[in-house]
Amino acid sequence: MSNRILSLLSVMALASTAAAEVAYEFVPNFITPPPGKETIGDGHGEIAVDSSGNIYVSVQDKDPALAGLQVYSKDGKFIKTLPLPPSLHGFVIRKLGDGEHIYGAVLGEQKVIKCNLDGTLVMEIPTSAFPAEQRDFVSVTKSDEADPKKKTSIASGIRIADSKTEITLKLANGTEKKIAKEKGVSAAGGLKLTNCDVAPNGDIYVVDGYGRSFIFVFSADGKFKSVFGGPDKPLALANAHKIFIDTRFEPARVMICDRGHKRMLHTDLAGNFIGEIATEMRNPSSASFHGDLMCVAEIAGNVSVWDKANKRVADLGTSPQMTNTPGIEPKDWHQGIVTSPHGISFDNDGNILETEWNKWGRVLRWNVKR
Amino acid sequence: MMRLSRSILILAAGGAVLAPLCALGHGAEFLSAKLTLLPDAEVLLEITADYGSNPLIMDETAALEALADPMRLRQHETLVPLATLGTATISQHHNWAEYAPAAYLPSETEDEAHALITSSWRWRSAEPEIVFEMPKGKLHDVLLWTHDVTQPDTPPKWMLLLAGDRSRPIPIQQTPWWRSWMAAAGAGSLALLGVYFVSRNFTLRQRTL
Repeated sequence: MSNRILSLLSVMALASTAAAEVAYEFVPNFITPPPGKETIGDGHGEIAVDSSGNIYVSVQDKDPALAGLQVYSKDGKFIKTLPLPPSLHGFVIRKLGDGEHIYGAVLGEQKVIKCNLDGTLVMEIPTSAFPAEQRDFVSVTKSDEADPKKKTSIASGIRIADSKTEITLKLANGTEKKIAKEKGVSAAGGLKLTNCDVAPNGDIYVVDGYGRSFIFVFSADGKFKSVFGGPDKPLALANAHKIFIDTRFEPARVMICDRGHKRMLHTDLAGNFIGEIATEMRNPSSASFHGDLMCVAEIAGNVSVWDKANKRVADLGTSPQMTNTPGIEPKDWHQGIVTSPHGISFDNDGNILETEWNKWGRVLRWNVKR
Repeated sequence: MMRLSRSILILAAGGAVLAPLCALGHGAEFLSAKLTLLPDAEVLLEITADYGSNPLIMDETAALEALADPMRLRQHETLVPLATLGTATISQHHNWAEYAPAAYLPSETEDEAHALITSSWRWRSAEPEIVFEMPKGKLHDVLLWTHDVTQPDTPPKWMLLLAGDRSRPIPIQQTPWWRSWMAAAGAGSLALLGVYFVSRNFTLRQRTL
């Protein structure tokens, strides 16, 4: 009897090892850019795949023929460009009870959009729907009269009033500070939304990744529900570049690319810390899930694949030197070597597609070896 | 260009004007360390922080904090803080182009509101090569790039250092051996000439007497 149990355990161990082993092969020149173009155009966005296998890449190029959400067939051939905002920094495609939609964070307009796959707008979460504590948080500075380039900080807080003559901030200690709008006084801050994802119950999670790294939760119909994260403890996030709902777990979790701290972490859907997935990474920027696997775009020059136990099972396209720049020209690209990965997605078969932060625009693909 | 026109508009409006809050981010999520190798083993290190578009540096105070101890100089087995090389010179400006290599300049489509602070250190290296290191746990990555004044047309070499990384050894512009010999020979000749004229004057005076 004990021998049978031991045999069974051995078989289970072997099976789990086999499941953990995963290998990929690079597919050269996978993407075919739009007609007449050598590259897809200025990339600082995301890539995703719909249920029929079509590939969507956001492009922020100045050329209107390229800007928007480009759609490619399964085999990388250009189909069309959806006229969505070019600063669609982060987006996902999710199929829920109400059908399949694109959910995106528009960085340049500080809003969230929900669209059909043909690009028609279904819902919008405007800037005004975000709580004032984060939306109106600004830093006020004053330029030196003799040297306008030299600025001195005056105060940071929530802008509660703004007239022609003065700006009123609510400071962290609860007091109000009135600042006269003298010559050279300016305020900067506010939301800088970088990504969103959707929980199984339809709640929409949005991150202020280029702002103060707060994560906002909205109901499926766009009503604000709660906020967590931010720069202070317990999560103490810094440049939480993108977040994703990790449905590999039941209940689902929030997976945060805490890029400034070079780590990934999980919280529950209410924002309670569960644990770090990995630290000392090459600045995790984006992620995608397929089965028990997660692939991650690390902007300083790597693509990694992780299993559900947070074990790194593959590294792809690793750049010999750290990178984090949009300025690597096509003549300096090397087949199979990434420059600055910014967005990533599994396709429906477990192959990996990656898009880069690159002025010319670049998409790479690795097929899973079967 | 857009920033220039916006600045003109702000100036033209006069009085207080609140800058737009629409910077797109992702301009420079690192400190840019420009290393200029000067003759005679002199080294100029200019480290720039952007608190206008770096999500890790929210304001001037955070920028100055980031620049206080951005990376260390490795001397044998010890890591020397830059502060020990002398007092840093601090300047504020908007000139990214001079303080980051071309490949690292923001995309044209990213209309960034840059606000830059540069901290500069200048010293004469006693070592033939210098190595920088990022202590573990540092929040800010450092883009280290070299600018050789003796070869201005050579594209700059750059490396991005993350926490725990060490730069490759960077050879500095040593004083050529013949220059120190020439300097010694020159000083010797001057001394000999001085002795000659003094002794000549002394002899002439004695003859006069």
